[in-house]
Amino acid sequence: MASPRILQTLFWLGLVGFLGWDWAASPPVDLRQEPPLIAAGSGQVVSGGHCSMAK
Amino acid sequence: MKRFSLAALLAAFFVFLALSVSIRQAVLLMVGIGMGMALAGARFGFTTGWRQLIENKDPQGVTGQALLLALASLAALPLLGVFPELHAALGPPSVSLLLGAFVFGLAMQIADGCGSGTLYKAGLGVPLNMGILPLFALGSFLGSVHLDRWLSLGQVAPVGLATELGTGGALLLTLALLAAALLLARAWVGPGRQWIGRRWVWGAIVLAVLATLNLLLAGQPWGVVYGFGLWAGKVSVALGLFDPSLNAFWGQEGNAQRISQTVLMDVTTITNIGILGGALWIAARSGPGADKPLTRQQWIVGLVAGFVLGYSSRLAFGCNIGAMLSGISTGSLHGWLWVPLAFAGSLVGVRVRRYYRY
Repeated sequence: MASPRILQTLFWLGLVGFLGWDWAASPPVDLRQEPPLIAAGSGQVVSGGHCSMAK
Repeated sequence: MKRFSLAALLAAFFVFLALSVSIRQAVLLMVGIGMGMALAGARFGFTTGWRQLIENKDPQGVTGQALLLALASLAALPLLGVFPELHAALGPPSVSLLLGAFVFGLAMQIADGCGSGTLYKAGLGVPLNMGILPLFALGSFLGSVHLDRWLSLGQVAPVGLATELGTGGALLLTLALLAAALLLARAWVGPGRQWIGRRWVWGAIVLAVLATLNLLLAGQPWGVVYGFGLWAGKVSVALGLFDPSLNAFWGQEGNAQRISQTVLMDVTTITNIGILGGALWIAARSGPGADKPLTRQQWIVGLVAGFVLGYSSRLAFGCNIGAMLSGISTGSLHGWLWVPLAFAGSLVGVRVRRYYRY
């Protein structure tokens, strides 16, 4: 088995590579649709993904 | 990695998010980093706390977790009553939940980490948890893909205690149930035990504050496993292996939108990355751990457990964070169903863990 240091390097390279690929392959972010900094009191209903959701 | 270099990288990522995604996501990254530092710095392990109670009759971990749940409830339930924009973590009581929570509790003892535990230990550089993370993501994705079939076995609508009893009633019931859980622990461990240590106290306080910040900023409670499933889902779509429009879960409007856009717009993804970064910061100070190398068999069993952990977390509508902490602190009945089933699974899991000599 590879040493922990090599595994750690591979792990972080994999994560950074995934995020870089995702950013390059995804449609550009529309900054005009930016969500409010603080949802509480914004008056906007938030609809993020959460693990408790059944659908 | 030196702490200064790491701080510079995290600051650069913060600026990138603020300029290219949203300021909210940048601030949530900081919240996630704080979570990772607290989890890793206090060694606030949900899995370890349960195992220490079962095997050593040491109640410090579960007392720390009960304190976290109480503090988070005291903040979250009133906030949900005041701000209609905020969501509770409401999962449906179902056959899927009962089965998923039991299997999750079993697998987390073998994998030595729940959702947050896997993240912060991967950030610390623990080899098994780094290996588990991609399999956890794959399992989480497949669990969500099959979720409609599991739900067809039987479910009722989510139950919110605040809706049924009002904010005050929900808070009182939550605190009473937490006290009852500690009384059960007292009956199990007997007299003369130390009930809580400093690291569990400060870990619980910091995590409760950060979980509340997550709720206020994102509008939803802290979650972990949705982000994992999203990562594997994006890869599956890119490889042409999966069509979200044909799936009951990923074909829903919100999920379909999230799988088509960058994961950096997803709340749980950002806090997950932050937790990894925060734990790496702690590792940079303390240096690499001296964990005993695992055998080939231990690796295989641990990786399989990691996949099962991801799959069952979606069936159970969350892990120790999404279902237990966020479910209970926002008054969801499913959180209270999750805990005894996952604990029953852990009773089996610690024996399996001992059998494989972890």
